[in-house]
Amino acid sequence: MTPRIQILPDHVANQIAAGEVVERPASVVKELVENALDAGASRIDVSLRNGGKTEIRVADDGCGMDREDALLALDRHATSKIRQAEDLARISSLGFRGEALPSIAAVSRFSLETASEDGVGTGVRVAGGRLQAADEIARRRGTTVTAAGLFGNVPARAKFLRSAAAETRAASEAVILLALCNLQVGFSLRSNDRELLSLGPATLRQRIGQIWGEEEASSLIDLDGPDGELGVTGLIQRPDEARTGRRRFTFANARPFVDRGLGRLVDEAYRTTVVPGLRPDYFLFLNLPAESMDVNVHPAKTEIRFRDRERVERMLVEAVRRRLARISSTPPLDRAPEPAAVVRPTAPAEAPRAAAAAGDGAPALVREGSTPDQFALFMTEAGGDEEPSEAGEIEPLAAQLRPELWQLHDSYILAATRRGLLIIDQHSAHERVLFEETMRRFRESGGEAQRLLFPLTLKLSPSEYSAAEELAQMLGRVGFEIEPFGDRTVIVRSSPNPHEHFDAERCFRDMIHELADGSPLVDAARNQHERIAKSLACKGAIKAGQSLSQDEMADLFDRLFATELPGHDVHGRPTIVRLTLEELARRFGRT
Amino acid sequence: MKLSITREKLQKGLGAVSATIPARTTLPVLSNILLRADGDSVQLCGTDLDISVQVTIDAEVETAGAVTVPAKKFSEITRELEDAPVHLTADQDQIRIECGRSKFKLYGLPEGEFPTFPEVDFSESWKMSAEALQELISHTSFAASTEESRPILNGVLWQLRPESTTMVATNGHRLALMTKDLHEAGAPEADLIVPPKALGQVERLFDGEEQLEIARSANHLAFRSERRAVFTRLIEGPYPNFDQVIPKDNDKQVVANRAGLESAIRRMAVVASDQTHRVRLLFEPGAVKFRVQTPDLGEAEDELAVDYDGESLEIGFNANYLLEVMRYMSDDDVKLSFKAPERAATLEPAEGDSDYLCLVMPLRLLD
Ligand SMILES: Nc1ncnc2c1ncn2[C@@H]1O[C@H](COP(=O)(O)OP(=O)(O)OP(=O)(O)O)[C@@H](O)[C@H]1O
Ligand SMILES: [Mg+2]
Repeated sequence: MTPRIQILPDHVANQIAAGEVVERPASVVKELVENALDAGASRIDVSLRNGGKTEIRVADDGCGMDREDALLALDRHATSKIRQAEDLARISSLGFRGEALPSIAAVSRFSLETASEDGVGTGVRVAGGRLQAADEIARRRGTTVTAAGLFGNVPARAKFLRSAAAETRAASEAVILLALCNLQVGFSLRSNDRELLSLGPATLRQRIGQIWGEEEASSLIDLDGPDGELGVTGLIQRPDEARTGRRRFTFANARPFVDRGLGRLVDEAYRTTVVPGLRPDYFLFLNLPAESMDVNVHPAKTEIRFRDRERVERMLVEAVRRRLARISSTPPLDRAPEPAAVVRPTAPAEAPRAAAAAGDGAPALVREGSTPDQFALFMTEAGGDEEPSEAGEIEPLAAQLRPELWQLHDSYILAATRRGLLIIDQHSAHERVLFEETMRRFRESGGEAQRLLFPLTLKLSPSEYSAAEELAQMLGRVGFEIEPFGDRTVIVRSSPNPHEHFDAERCFRDMIHELADGSPLVDAARNQHERIAKSLACKGAIKAGQSLSQDEMADLFDRLFATELPGHDVHGRPTIVRLTLEELARRFGRT
Repeated sequence: MKLSITREKLQKGLGAVSATIPARTTLPVLSNILLRADGDSVQLCGTDLDISVQVTIDAEVETAGAVTVPAKKFSEITRELEDAPVHLTADQDQIRIECGRSKFKLYGLPEGEFPTFPEVDFSESWKMSAEALQELISHTSFAASTEESRPILNGVLWQLRPESTTMVATNGHRLALMTKDLHEAGAPEADLIVPPKALGQVERLFDGEEQLEIARSANHLAFRSERRAVFTRLIEGPYPNFDQVIPKDNDKQVVANRAGLESAIRRMAVVASDQTHRVRLLFEPGAVKFRVQTPDLGEAEDELAVDYDGESLEIGFNANYLLEVMRYMSDDDVKLSFKAPERAATLEPAEGDSDYLCLVMPLRLLD
């Protein structure tokens, strides 16, 4: 008997489609919350039983539906959000396929209660994809969707559901994701009648604080506003706060999307500011014309294709780098120092820190006019902006107004600024300067090497010798002209001369050792140029304990602030610690 | 110990010794000056353990004895005293200072805690005028290195020969060398490596017209005149063979006006990179052209008429090194000799019997 082609009954077709849209309770939650958001809700309450396996309920106060629409909504490809193919090119709603509700209804005991006005509404019940009842009910404006016994009629799928706790966690992640890009909407999440989340309308920073605690919120800094309409906004983590990078979110026009490539670019932008192996959190919002991206590329709508991806990438990287360039990664002094390499477990929400650390709304202690004269050294423009800067901000420096500099313990440079004091670690600072100068040497031709009157003849280990042979040409470009001489001996005929106290032999020996045998620092480098630049910066920079003249300090200060990322050395450690007048006043009990 | 002394002499003596007193020290007695009265004079001594200075001044000594006194306070008090005889009385570890109606008491430390000066036997010594020695020092010691990994180059090599003496210092990038005839050498030949800081004390402490005796022990070197002395530790080890690296075949020679050359380089240096201070000198028949290009900063050009008829050649230098060595060229004109862009160039006074020579290693241009 030849099999005959048959059109599948709707309820079977829907079950198949549901396989793509509805994978687990979290995907149901996601679709329902999206619908509520598309309906213009100002409050969305989600409740789960048994991780959503027993029941998922999502209630909103959005526009609701009339009876006709409520029934239509359950048909496949029934949507109010687009009308024609062209609309697909400029989607601004979260839904557009008209697939979510029928898919959910196909694999659960489904009920929809909705009203477009307070008063009379419609209640629809579906089981196993078949309409059971459609009644008139009394309810307020809005919609409540309940999906019970998920995959009860598809045992094969039910088997793949995980523990209630795991499903709850996934569902709450879905809510959080949407809560992050809909700040004006209030959300709640309950699981078995226990409240897991309760989020009122908030700023992004507040919302992050509500979700993960103050600790996370205050580790973030605001990206600069975009120029004009298009651009990138959001919060990124201060480099010294970077840990495991578990909270990394990207949104395009308030639509969450997943894109590992962009994540790598952000890491790239942070490179050399964070300790290798650590990753910053971020919450990035791209604002783009709706027609410049295609959201219809993934069944779960989690991916986006950008028409001009390169431009988006550039925009993103520039926004992050521009912001990083302006900060000192260093927290104010009142926070316990924490070794950057220690990965901290998720901290429970802790008592808010000193206001100064919080960034937002920190009271400006020193008001205009009350700034003592001796701290007015850093006036950038006469009577200029007096806004209190965010914690960790480096004030814009007017080059011609370099502050007075002091050296402390032959290791730190102190600089008075308008808002307090900068403490610069001379070695870290010079590392940053040398690293960027060396990278530039690789990029641009040019540069020079100081010829040595007495060439150094150095006996190396076998691995060092082969590294020296292999890297001879590249080392030459940074100033070390070397000649492998056989018998593990190299002759160094010239060297860089980055500062007056530079010790060419020691630097070369340390470098070749590091380049041959590796180190966490150079192993994190992306290519040979960067390995060499990092190593040279680390080994060749002015050492702690080196006394510096006024001119040398001034020179280092100017060159540090001329770098792209003055706030960090090549290990990702801070170069600058800032002590604000506010902090000083607090310490002296003057608050 | 009990003595009287004029305020002026005391102040001068203290000034001479104070320069050796270390600003910070873990050994408290090093902040003190040792006073030792005997016969008709008092000796003031200060040391930082590496270098020691001793000055003898006339005094009316009533009772001989010794005491150590905090150097800084003692100098400050002396400076403020009226111009009248100062009476010093030591009573165990205290010293009373009386002048006119002013009276002070300072707490010192026992004399026994003060480090003993190195023993140097002057029976075999070199003799030299302070002026000649100071000229050698000022022309060379600036070039010594501060790199830690080659401590030898941290010192100044001083070669004493029967008829002449030479001082050389280098950091491996530039070198300064000066030779002087020496007529009453006396002692045997020697190659000494002396810390520049000690030579600085020699420059400062002695008057030009003084005759100096110089003698050594195994590890120390001493300079002394009738009333003053400097002792220093010597740096050990063989100094690199500098003679071998001084080019003998630099066939291209330029004679330039020193002031003109110096001011042109000074102008170029303003725009040179802070890191390398690189200037390029393009030698052409009749002129040298200067050129500086610094990314992100700018460019500069200059030109100076010089006496040169060789082929065109461009060499890069660290402007600071050139300026440094020219500072000590006494003639109106300097002679620059070189051979190739990556080889050592030398500078000397154009006239004169060429007892002074500086060498500057070029910056190899990598583009
Ligand atoms: N909570 C709600 N409030 C008001 N209208 C709703 C709600 N949920 C669904 N609707 C209506 O039902 C239609 C179908 O919803 P459904 O989720 O199936 O499709 P969609 O949102 O249009 O597209 P997608 O499949 O991409 O989610 C929507 O277009 C909308 O008009
Ligand atoms: Mg939908």
